[in-house]
Amino acid sequence: MVRAVADRAFLPTKGLLQQVGEMMILTGKTLVSAVRPPYPYGNEFVQQFLFMLRLCWLPLTVSMLAVSYGAPGLQAGNFLVLFGAIDRLGGFFVLASIREFAPNVTAIILAGVGGTAITADLGARKIREELDALQVLGVDPIKNLVVPRFLALMIVTGLFNLYAICFGITGGVLATLSFDAPLGPFFATLLNNASIPDLWGSVVKTTMFGAIIAVVSCYKGMTASGGAEGVGRAVNQAVVIEFLGIFAFNYVFTQTLLATHPEISVIK
Amino acid sequence: MIGWTASFGEIIKFSTRVVVDVFDGRVFRFFGETLRQAGILILGSAIVIWGLAFILGLQCGIEGAYFSRSVGAPSNAGTFAAWCDLREIMPYAFGYMMSAKVGTGLVAEIGAMRISDEIAEVSAGGYFVIFWMFQNPPDLLFSLIKGMAMATVIVLVGCYYGYTASGGPVGVGTATAKSMVLNTVLVHVVGMLGTQIFWGSNPRAPIGG
Repeated sequence: MVRAVADRAFLPTKGLLQQVGEMMILTGKTLVSAVRPPYPYGNEFVQQFLFMLRLCWLPLTVSMLAVSYGAPGLQAGNFLVLFGAIDRLGGFFVLASIREFAPNVTAIILAGVGGTAITADLGARKIREELDALQVLGVDPIKNLVVPRFLALMIVTGLFNLYAICFGITGGVLATLSFDAPLGPFFATLLNNASIPDLWGSVVKTTMFGAIIAVVSCYKGMTASGGAEGVGRAVNQAVVIEFLGIFAFNYVFTQTLLATHPEISVIK
Repeated sequence: MIGWTASFGEIIKFSTRVVVDVFDGRVFRFFGETLRQAGILILGSAIVIWGLAFILGLQCGIEGAYFSRSVGAPSNAGTFAAWCDLREIMPYAFGYMMSAKVGTGLVAEIGAMRISDEIAEVSAGGYFVIFWMFQNPPDLLFSLIKGMAMATVIVLVGCYYGYTASGGPVGVGTATAKSMVLNTVLVHVVGMLGTQIFWGSNPRAPIGG
């Protein structure tokens, strides 16, 4: 009886911890084989980079405009209207758009659109036994498949973050206009509050998000198994783990950034 | 672009069929299956959704505290957190996790059934009715409506892609990935529309006067 209860509680936990460990090992292997010569992954890297750009730009634009008009724009604007300080909305957008929403939405889109595509692609190759065939031919799947995806996702996510910030601020402009407020004070408080640590913090954070997405997607794709349901289930699990990982990392990173750079948490 | 528009139309057609099936009461013949699916969803997804909601709420509280201090109203950090959590973040957290866990899960499961020819004509309405059964003051109501709208959209998209999956195991994977693309965008759009419709530029809060 006790044994059955313990099994029920601990076996899933053990499986989870094991998977996390294997992902860490994959990360380590990827980093090592990324810097160690030879470097055969140039073409694949460019291909993946362009693939991600093509896949994600439209969903990201639509989502970022919608989110930043709705959540920080209208709701924070409502909060500020109560205090008669709608001109502070620009200052809030540094906090909201640059520090939180743009990185998070970028990561959600990259995980949901790019990450799933990677898992589906690698999972399909695994099911068709192409990965095993590669290994037999002496081609290292980590160096030739994982490393280019890892690097491409890191760079693409960091760059897409800047793109998302632009659209986030556009959403803020739309929200300001919907309150019939002038745009001058919005930009004045925005530029007054924007600081360098906020910007690089945002870019570093999204680059790390990209790394998380790439490792989880590649791991889940390369370990897909089982019949028709296998690849679908791998994609499903990959997205869930990515979302949880992204938000957990976001919390830790933001807290660290705020603690080490106290000047950015003071809104001027 | 044409492909996307075409599949959008297909989704609308499929959704209409499901909604009609639900409302003409035929789905209650599968009431047992509906309850079973609800149980699976609750057991499988509740902890993950709570976890995500908790992390996002933490984030929201911290930023809210800094921000309300900056406008000289630190004691109103609670107002900020209440709005942030209840009106915006919770529906989004719910929507994200629904699309990630439930949406793609449905595609994988239904797609697999489809590939192995288990279903020729199955009623996807079973999944749909539970969201209306399990949802029973105005902000909470609006927040629930937003969450429900997202859930409905996600489940319909998930069922559609699962239902039309073809091309073996690889096809199921591709369908899952595709459903996620559409779902993430739709979650954000539904969230924005909900905010605009329910609150718009009208704060409605007991501060000042």
